[in-house]
Amino acid sequence: MTSTVLKRCFALSLLSLFCAGPAIALVGSAQASTKTTPYQTTRANSGTPNSTHVTKNSSGVIISYGNSSITYRAPSAALATLGQALYQENCASCHGTEANGVPASGVSGAFPDLVGLGPATITFWINSGRMPAANPRSVEAVRRIPRLDNGQALAIAAWIDTLAPGYPLVPYPHLKNANVSDGAALFALNCASCHTIEGDGDALAYGTSSPSLRHVPAIQVAEAIRTGPGNMPRFTGNLSDAQVNDVVKFVTTAIQHPQNIGGFGLGGLGPVAEGFVGLALGVGVLALVGFWVGERD
Amino acid sequence: MSDPHEHRTPVALKGLSADDPHLQPAAPNPQLVEKVIAICFVLGALCVAGFGACYWINAQAWKLGATMGFGLFFLGVGLVAWGKYLMPQGPFVEERHTLANSVADRDAFAAAIVERGGGVVQRRKLLGGLLGGGLGIFGVVAMFPLLRSLGPLPKTTLQHTDWAKGSYVVDQSGRRVQVGDFAIGSIATVFPEGTQDSDRGQAVDQTVLIRVSNEAFTTMKGRESWAPKGYVAYSKVCTHLGCPVGLYEQELQLLVCPCHQSMFNVRNGAIPQFGPAPRPLPQLPLYIDSSGFLRSQSDFHEAVGPGFWEHQ
Amino acid sequence: MTDVINTQRSKREALGPYGRVGKTLGELDDRLGVAKGGRTFMDKIFPDHWSFMLGEIALYSFVILLVTGVFLTLYFTPSQSYITYHGSYLPLDGQKVSQAFASTVNLSFAVRGGLLMRQMHHWACDIFVGAIVVHMARVFFTGAFRKPRELNWTIGTTLLILAILNGFLGYSLPDDLVSGTGIRIAYSIILSIPVVGSYLGFLVFGGNFPGTAIIPRFFILHCLIVPAIIVGLVGAHLFLLVRQKHTQFPGEGRTEKNVVGSPMFPVFMAKTTGFLFVVGGITALLGAFAQVNPIWQFGPYEASRISYAVQPDWYMGFLDGALRIWPSWSFHNWGHTIPFEVLIPAVILPGLIFNLAFVWPMLERKFTNDHEIHHLLDRPSNRPKRTAAGVAVLTFVIMLFVASSTDVLAKFFDVSLNTMLVAMRVLVIISPFIAYPITYKICRELQGFVGGGKRKTPNVVTRTAEGQYVATPSPVYVDDVHRGLPATPVPTFITEEPEDAGENGVRVVDR
Repeated sequence: MTSTVLKRCFALSLLSLFCAGPAIALVGSAQASTKTTPYQTTRANSGTPNSTHVTKNSSGVIISYGNSSITYRAPSAALATLGQALYQENCASCHGTEANGVPASGVSGAFPDLVGLGPATITFWINSGRMPAANPRSVEAVRRIPRLDNGQALAIAAWIDTLAPGYPLVPYPHLKNANVSDGAALFALNCASCHTIEGDGDALAYGTSSPSLRHVPAIQVAEAIRTGPGNMPRFTGNLSDAQVNDVVKFVTTAIQHPQNIGGFGLGGLGPVAEGFVGLALGVGVLALVGFWVGERD
Repeated sequence: MSDPHEHRTPVALKGLSADDPHLQPAAPNPQLVEKVIAICFVLGALCVAGFGACYWINAQAWKLGATMGFGLFFLGVGLVAWGKYLMPQGPFVEERHTLANSVADRDAFAAAIVERGGGVVQRRKLLGGLLGGGLGIFGVVAMFPLLRSLGPLPKTTLQHTDWAKGSYVVDQSGRRVQVGDFAIGSIATVFPEGTQDSDRGQAVDQTVLIRVSNEAFTTMKGRESWAPKGYVAYSKVCTHLGCPVGLYEQELQLLVCPCHQSMFNVRNGAIPQFGPAPRPLPQLPLYIDSSGFLRSQSDFHEAVGPGFWEHQ
Repeated sequence: MTDVINTQRSKREALGPYGRVGKTLGELDDRLGVAKGGRTFMDKIFPDHWSFMLGEIALYSFVILLVTGVFLTLYFTPSQSYITYHGSYLPLDGQKVSQAFASTVNLSFAVRGGLLMRQMHHWACDIFVGAIVVHMARVFFTGAFRKPRELNWTIGTTLLILAILNGFLGYSLPDDLVSGTGIRIAYSIILSIPVVGSYLGFLVFGGNFPGTAIIPRFFILHCLIVPAIIVGLVGAHLFLLVRQKHTQFPGEGRTEKNVVGSPMFPVFMAKTTGFLFVVGGITALLGAFAQVNPIWQFGPYEASRISYAVQPDWYMGFLDGALRIWPSWSFHNWGHTIPFEVLIPAVILPGLIFNLAFVWPMLERKFTNDHEIHHLLDRPSNRPKRTAAGVAVLTFVIMLFVASSTDVLAKFFDVSLNTMLVAMRVLVIISPFIAYPITYKICRELQGFVGGGKRKTPNVVTRTAEGQYVATPSPVYVDDVHRGLPATPVPTFITEEPEDAGENGVRVVDR
């Protein structure tokens, strides 16, 4: 415990040394458009700064908070300048130069307003490869190889955060402290109804779909739970940071590395795949053997 | 299982000479086939022995299955091949005799029943009727305790849940939900306080609590006060077949049943807009008390879950 | 005969020409009179056509079900009382689970050979029901259900229903998330029955869902009552088969008055025992390499938990599909509700399908006015109307089955789930009407095609010195030469060449 506090103090001092100047300037400019709280929960240890260890920089901006389960950290404000350039290059054509969802004239359609969404939302969409979108007109963006790396994503998040601070910050789960069994129970109650109990995802209403969880890194799982990207709902008050950490642990262990002690896992499609195997490999092969055993005329 | 009427099937007492083609193996080159079969049997025996060894050392399931499977497979293939290629090829024939007996036999059988039995019953109609009546009553009466002991009567248990006036809304961990707890777009499964760990609470009282943004929400007539601060609660039990409707699509504002894909409109009283569900999910009237806790105004106004005869 | 005793030869002679076997059979015959019937049974002829093996797949997978099932009962605890799981599968450690679930997980992880037995049991069940359906299709399309075999057709159809029922009961026993959802749906289906539904539901489940009685009740049904009925009916099925003798396809030397094929002993016995081993082997290989129903990954059932994309085992799929695509027609008036959206697809529809199967032999007798006894089978193409009707009904059921995976199909074809569901509604209704005329047409075409289905020999084309090409048919296949033999009764005895080769004569081995 003390070591993490020490580390945070160290990080804090480093940050204040290197980026206090630009941070103050940028944050100051964004005070006017601060959004109200319905996007956040007031419950302690549930994703917003209502937690035990809140760290602020010298100008009073929260740069990290959390607990022994998840630490939420703001991207370094020093990246904001780089982030602005990256944003204008990669995102502004749809989300607008002010990140308010109003694109430059000539581009019609509704695009999400990014101001005040918080860094976790921004980094999730970029790091999961959904943004920049392959096809901005599609029903929903799908996971693909990210076009920007994590550092660039953090930079863009840092710049957008300067327009108006938002929460949650980027969650860093401490999986060592998680209880995979509690995670399994919470997953079955809250997540499996869309992602399936094997985490494979499937087609949902009106052309939407729930993505597979097989290759999602821990941070993105936590980000998705807390921010509710796209059609996914947010999980805020009913899941504490410890519980989110449990779910992340379950997803990154039991879902992503299932214990298939019974042979090949049959793609997690469940009884449909089992039915095809039973009929084709079971009845089918046996009928072929029967074809050999018997006569043809 | 032997034929109980074998005496009617005369057995052909006929010999064949050993070089009769019917007794020759079907295989054109029996020596080769014999070798192949021998190899099958050896492989099968080795695999079956391997199964024993795997079992002894407690090997993984797939090793047990593979050794047993291949063992049985090779033994079986060898045995089939033996029968198919090396045993007398035939074809052999057997006569098929008609199963029906002569008219005289049938008449004798029918007469035995009708004349003996009929005579007795006709002479003692009263006794027959009394016996039949007694057995009939026993048959009906025997059903009653048998059926009645199997379970309690439903009474009105299907019509009500444990939600009542002033029940605290708690999440799966038993924490009371306060007004600031949920960000917009959040969902949780909630229960009336005290039932979250009980079977009945899980099965009957389960409710989805969603916080929708005010601009996304249209209240139905008469339900204006049911969803304070955008907190709207619907029964989680699907009105089609009772699966938990836990699938919430935030942008479409739909609750979808994971079993048969009924789609309920969250904005508009959970009216089903697609799929087989016939009725909206019942809405739970909520209010926020002076300490900021979410509580229910009353029970659901109709029975939750799938339809049944007494459903009002 | 001299008084030489205690020599090998005299002992042998005292036993008679057939040695110990003959002596034992003699003793048995003294008491039970088995010689004549036994001999007839050994000589019993089984036709060899490959399609007659399909029923054997069903029979032998049932044998495997019995054997593996007995193993499983030793380790399964049929109880819904809760315990805290502490076992070798960590993602469940500390969870509140029912004893049924915990014992199934322990059976899979801790019992030696337990997982293999469980998986073999499950695969054998999938194969059992599948083989019954395929066997039933064979019987239907070849007209083997006709007089005098209507009763056996009825028994077979009952066996299919019982197999499906017992499959569902067994699938429900582990009390895992997926099977628990299935039980919940079954409860709601019972509830949908007008007037008595809620009472029936409470009686079956011992109260409101989920109750604590259903797993123990399913256990006794699954392990004792239904299997006992199945065993009895399988016995009756086989008894009737032996009593009425097997049908055969028409062919050279085959008439309504004979049966041509292989004798029970030793040819058929070798083949069929070998086939039993092969069925066991394939099932064991599936159990070894294809994981089935990994309940530890699903977790225990709680009524508020659910997984998307859960389907029942394949043989229940047509019901699930029907429930998905049926529109939301509910009757509600005078304070009462009739949930037609459940009642029709889940109760009335399967009732109609199975009753159609039950009454089909009677219907066919009535409409064709054919009251004759038939032992020779039909080629399906020679009965185009029956074949087309069967294909239409099968198509309908298969399309219902496909409709149970609308979500998987929507994902696969990348179309909207809603579009897929509407498409399935249309397909389920129109596909039988497409299947009927197509099948009918194919049957009529095949009727005009002589020798269809027979193995043909190639022509050998030779070029003469003058450059002329001559096509001569090549000799028939070696196997087919043997088939050309006229059938003979099974010999009572075999005349052999004497052991010493020089002698010119035969020794007749006779009784």
